[in-house]
Amino acid sequence: MNVHTYEKIWLVASLFLIVGFIATVVYGAAGAGIAMVDASGGTVDSTSLSENERFGEPGVERVGDGEYEVTVVARQFMYQPDPIRVPADSRVTFYVTSADVIHGFQVVGTNVNTMVIPGQVAKITVDFDEPAEYGIICNEYCGQGHHDMEGKLVVVPEDEYGGDDA
Amino acid sequence: MTSEELPGEELFLDRFPDEAQVVRASLWSAFVALGIGALAGIVQALHRVGYVRFIDSADYYTVLTLHGVLLVISFTIFFLVGLFTWAVTRSLDRPVENIRFTWAWYLTMVAGTVLAGVAILGGFVDSIPISADVLFTFYAPLQAHPLFYAGLAVFIIGTWLAGFDWFRSWWIWRSENDGRIPLQTFMVLTSMLMWYIATIGVAISVVFFLLPWSLGIIDQVNPLLTRTLFWYFGHPVVYFWLMPAYLLWYTVLPSISGGRLFSDPLARVVFVLFLILSTPVGIHHQYLDPGIAEGFKFIAMTNTMFLLLPSLLTAFTVVASMEHGARQRGGEGYLSWLGALPWRDPAFTGMALAGLMFAAGGFSGMVNAGMNINYLIHNTLWVPGHFHLTVGTAVALTFMAATYWLLPQLTRRRLYSRTIGLFQVVMWFVGMVLMSNAMHRAGLVGIPRRTAEPQYDGFAFDAGLSSVAELDAQVAIGGTLLFVSVVLFLGNLIISLLEDPMEGTVDRSLPPALSGPEDSPEVLDNLSLWVAIALLLVLLAYSLPIGAIVADGGLFGPGTESYPVVLSWLEVVT
Amino acid sequence: MATDRELKEIGHDEFDPVGTLTLITVYFLILVGMWVLTYFVEFLGNGPTVVG
Ligand code: HEM
Ligand SMILES: [Cu+2]
Ligand SMILES: [Cu+2]
Repeated sequence: MNVHTYEKIWLVASLFLIVGFIATVVYGAAGAGIAMVDASGGTVDSTSLSENERFGEPGVERVGDGEYEVTVVARQFMYQPDPIRVPADSRVTFYVTSADVIHGFQVVGTNVNTMVIPGQVAKITVDFDEPAEYGIICNEYCGQGHHDMEGKLVVVPEDEYGGDDA
Repeated sequence: MTSEELPGEELFLDRFPDEAQVVRASLWSAFVALGIGALAGIVQALHRVGYVRFIDSADYYTVLTLHGVLLVISFTIFFLVGLFTWAVTRSLDRPVENIRFTWAWYLTMVAGTVLAGVAILGGFVDSIPISADVLFTFYAPLQAHPLFYAGLAVFIIGTWLAGFDWFRSWWIWRSENDGRIPLQTFMVLTSMLMWYIATIGVAISVVFFLLPWSLGIIDQVNPLLTRTLFWYFGHPVVYFWLMPAYLLWYTVLPSISGGRLFSDPLARVVFVLFLILSTPVGIHHQYLDPGIAEGFKFIAMTNTMFLLLPSLLTAFTVVASMEHGARQRGGEGYLSWLGALPWRDPAFTGMALAGLMFAAGGFSGMVNAGMNINYLIHNTLWVPGHFHLTVGTAVALTFMAATYWLLPQLTRRRLYSRTIGLFQVVMWFVGMVLMSNAMHRAGLVGIPRRTAEPQYDGFAFDAGLSSVAELDAQVAIGGTLLFVSVVLFLGNLIISLLEDPMEGTVDRSLPPALSGPEDSPEVLDNLSLWVAIALLLVLLAYSLPIGAIVADGGLFGPGTESYPVVLSWLEVVT
Repeated sequence: MATDRELKEIGHDEFDPVGTLTLITVYFLILVGMWVLTYFVEFLGNGPTVVG
């Protein structure tokens, strides 16, 4: 094969780019500690969520020192609970599933974003350091009222947090 | 010298009149889809930003389904089959074996489109219990009317038959000729092999799950499984859209630039890489899906990143071929040779601008590929921003530009106005710069895609240094320019056809490559070998994830209901 | 049409695509710069992020 020198240079540069991209992503995972939503949330029968131990009662639960679990049910066209209240300086694990079709769960202005697939539980853990108010939107088309599907996440200062659900 | 050369004296339509008719029919089918799709496009652009809302927001999703299906299924693939028929016929220099068979696959594809189209359009009329407001990804448990899935299946069968037609031509050619597969035919065959492998996923999803489910034969499906099967198909399909554009960039653009293809062997390598790597990557559309382990996502990412290679190589080869043209035309210097290119020719300018946009789209694609950075842009407007550069411009604009070049040899008509043609391609470029730039930036601040009214009650998007209003204005202006550009394109074509036929001929012969096929290893033409490797990679990438999805949730799901899109809406309003 | 504009014929060995090399080098630099910006500023600066 007759490959021009410049072409060889470009081939090497391209491989360098590719490896560089992969390395950056690995750094994000290993260095910055970013984890992908995965299969660890398990599966659930979406037709009987009300009888489910976890999803029967969507809400916020304190599970340890500065650690909270938030159970969220997405359905056409709302989230339960809404709003979600958690204290600042906490580690929050969300368990999100759908009661009907596929939805999205995106905390606007952050990197908290996951698909919500009926039958699957999306389990994601997030550290909230500062008090803030975020919008939550469904970013996957889920039916004719999709654009009305929003929620709210309020991270309140630690001393103001009553600990109540919702 | 090589079979790449067709005697320049004879127009394609004189040499192959029957084939030319099929090519014209395919292209016209594509352009009808383009016209309707563009109309849907401007409606969406103006509706989303809130400038003009003459449809109900609930109908937005019917429009969006129409836009997606017509543009990325009908427009792209009808153009593809027309172009591939032209390319195989001319590069083998032989007619199809049986023109009735050729018409049969064309009509099958038309029938499929009409079935699916009727199902989608039914969504506008509440009194008709037919609808398919499921968007072009048709994720279950949203459910379309069975006609929609049936139409899709019929359409795909049509493309399979078309592939058979081209393979048959090549088999017979091979028995009568020695030597390498002519480059254009090589490109068609590798693209089709990729397509056969890719469509297995969607065929299984539609035939075994979605269609029986929409007919009530089974009552539930596993949404993660059908989604995974869709994306098994959904990534290679983007390369299927791209392959005809690559074929044009490799084999036609050099000649329009006044030069010759830089390297035939590298072109073959690129197509082989696409065949091998296009499919085992689909999980990169599911980085944020629960139910799929991080390791599988990482494997998909690695494959995806290596899939950048053929496109990066293409950038070099194609630009070098244009440079060759510019130098033969007297171009000098490091960059001033660019001025020696035929910028007044709409076919050239359209393709060159399409290539430039593809370079930009390449960047946002690299971001899409980067597993964890997907948290930032997944399902935001960034994603349509990306693919309007790739399929929406690299492919669509190349097709329009190529049509200007193909027109005389397919219709014996001159283009009515080259000036309008030039204006049209530049207008597309400007419109897309605006719309796509705004979409990317809107995505970075979290504005979602697929949303009729991305204006919310509880919070506002923070667009940083700029403002949401500015982004909206860019989308609206850009979308309008794009729409006008399509109108000019179609108008220019239609008027051309009303003109009198030309006398004489045009030279549309394609010069051989600078480094010809004789420089490339024979093994590149060993298609069975590449198919075997491609299948092996697919098995490696998919058997474990699909096995896990079925083991965890069952073939028919861990329990889900059906949501026919019409009924779910009625439940909401009552 | 093709003949009158073709001032010269340049073969494979005399052709040195230095213009292409220039363009592609610029592209390479843009890609690297944009990637760093998007990953480290837009993405990692956009916290909170999923950590588990
Ligand atoms: C007149 C030119 C066009 C305009 C104004 C336009 C506008 C738009 C807009 C605003 C959206 C986003 C809708 C949303 O997510 O809410 C969209 C989506 C889309 N466009 Fe275009 N577009 C045009 C041409 C094209 C072309 C030529 C193609 C492909 C060949 C294309 C393919 C798509 C696809 C696949 C989607 C996504 C559909 C979905 O999310 O289901 N568009 N378009
Ligand atoms: Cu939604
Ligand atoms: Cu993809």
